[in-house]
Amino acid sequence: MARQIVHRLLISIPALVGVLFLCFCLLQVVPADPAMVIAGPDAKPETIAAIRQELGLDRSIPVQFFEYIMRVMRGDLGRSIISNKKVIEELALTIGPTVELMVGAMLMAVPIGIGLGTLAAVNRGSLTDRFIMAISVAGVSMPVFFIGLILIQYVGFRWALLPFTGRTGPVWDGGLPSLILPALTLGLVLIGPIARLTRTAVLEVLGADFVRTARAKGLRETVVIVHHALRNAMIPVVTLIGLQAAFLLGGAVVTETMFSWPGVGRLAVGAIVSSDFPTAQGAIMILAIAFLTINLLVDVLYVYLDPRVQST
Amino acid sequence: MSVEALEHGLVGRANESGWLARGGLLRRLARDRVAALAASALTAIVLAAVFAPWIAPYDPYFTDLTKSMQAPSGEHWFGTDNTGRDILSRILFGTRNTLVLGLVGVIVGGAIGGALGIFAAYYRRLGGWIMRLVDIMLAFPAILIGLAMAAIFGAGLSAVIIALVIATVPDVARVARGAAVGVMGQEFMEAGRAVGVSDSALIWRYLTLNCISTIFVFLTLRFGQIILIGSVLGFLGMGAQPPTAELGMMAAQGRDFLFMAPHIATIPSCAIFVIVLCANLLGDAFRDVLDPRLQT
Repeated sequence: MARQIVHRLLISIPALVGVLFLCFCLLQVVPADPAMVIAGPDAKPETIAAIRQELGLDRSIPVQFFEYIMRVMRGDLGRSIISNKKVIEELALTIGPTVELMVGAMLMAVPIGIGLGTLAAVNRGSLTDRFIMAISVAGVSMPVFFIGLILIQYVGFRWALLPFTGRTGPVWDGGLPSLILPALTLGLVLIGPIARLTRTAVLEVLGADFVRTARAKGLRETVVIVHHALRNAMIPVVTLIGLQAAFLLGGAVVTETMFSWPGVGRLAVGAIVSSDFPTAQGAIMILAIAFLTINLLVDVLYVYLDPRVQST
Repeated sequence: MSVEALEHGLVGRANESGWLARGGLLRRLARDRVAALAASALTAIVLAAVFAPWIAPYDPYFTDLTKSMQAPSGEHWFGTDNTGRDILSRILFGTRNTLVLGLVGVIVGGAIGGALGIFAAYYRRLGGWIMRLVDIMLAFPAILIGLAMAAIFGAGLSAVIIALVIATVPDVARVARGAAVGVMGQEFMEAGRAVGVSDSALIWRYLTLNCISTIFVFLTLRFGQIILIGSVLGFLGMGAQPPTAELGMMAAQGRDFLFMAPHIATIPSCAIFVIVLCANLLGDAFRDVLDPRLQT
């Protein structure tokens, strides 16, 4: 198992370098010269040249890329053009809220999705099954912002039940109410795919020999479903949850923007709108690295859940 | 696993040529009432979008501040927006832009991804590198690519199209490679090589033509998602710029007036929902017909 994890880690290195290179390119191909942006519109040529030298913009591209990687390894992502604060410090402030939002969304979506999917599979062909599947197809087809708009309009504004702008603080410090609506928005989108795949996976497992054996032994139906069927059906579901991480990160960008949630996604959108390239590059890099890491964790979990993978 | 599972299902069927008989496919689709409904709705939407200039009741860009934010009525079926423009007309034109975005993304992305996948299967050594590249592309969620493209080229339809193409390429490449590897193992490939058929003919006439239906089916499954990504990018302000009508951007503009006139944001959102729902239902029906194993 350890060998496999090391192998998987080695495979993700080229992807990581690729991510870094793309972020580096983002800083290279921007139409505006960063030195001129920093110096302002009526700066002297000498000032611009000095800034160029300070930023290392006068050296060759491969050298610049190597230096860029070195800087990133030291945690130096440059300074924001707008606020002149260190990008890494701005990012550090936003990572917590984004993780909170994603975990909140997962905590809502995963149990509900698995529950609904199992319920549909066990009552296959019934009205319950059809209803759950209809909801999940509708959920998959809904733009994230539509759900957000509905929740803001009704729960937030008309009925004034929950706050819908900003974040009042960490969850353990009275921040829970402000988390609910954004997390619900993001989570609702996930329920559909999770429920659908759980249903398919459980149906497949329910037909297996070991389930028939368990039933023949006279085990109670709930034990058969929870211990025998569900545990084996979890393998594809865990993978799907990992694959949905990309989707969730993308959704987080929209959700954060809608609810003024101070996370990485909103930082990225704001930075792009205001042409703050160092910040944009840093935020995009963090999001991409987060995605690579989640995929890695999912693969490791996969080996744990399905011992058959080890032998291959 | 969903992507691989899908690959498996599609590839498994692609090698049995029976389903390619179009008549059988359409007949089986027609028997599925939901699919038939989704297909007719989607056809109606596409026709409405194509003929938008002729059937739109008003000019989608004509502003009339005396009529701003009117609720739906007999005169304006979907009401008017904050500058008094007729929302129904804007929806018709917006659907046009949204559908074109999705189609261009799927077709161009499908062509590039398909070519990459087929090359990766044919040239094994190159294939490893291609698939590594594909993995790196997968590391960037579509929304992020859209943000990066908007940062580089400026917000606009071209930034969104590039993002949608990049979002389509890696998945298609994996499916195409899966299908092509299956075809590579068939005897006719070996026979072709034995009688001295050139590489280009082997790739095009033997390999591509045998994989193209698999790729096509996969693309119909992806179409709804691509439209969804495009509209989300529009919503974030990375896509079409005002006054151009595009459904995602229209929803974003309506967001500012959500509490005074909710229909301005809700109607475009509903339009996106209906289009994507129809596309997804149709895609599911395709898959059910083509892969009975998943038909539960």
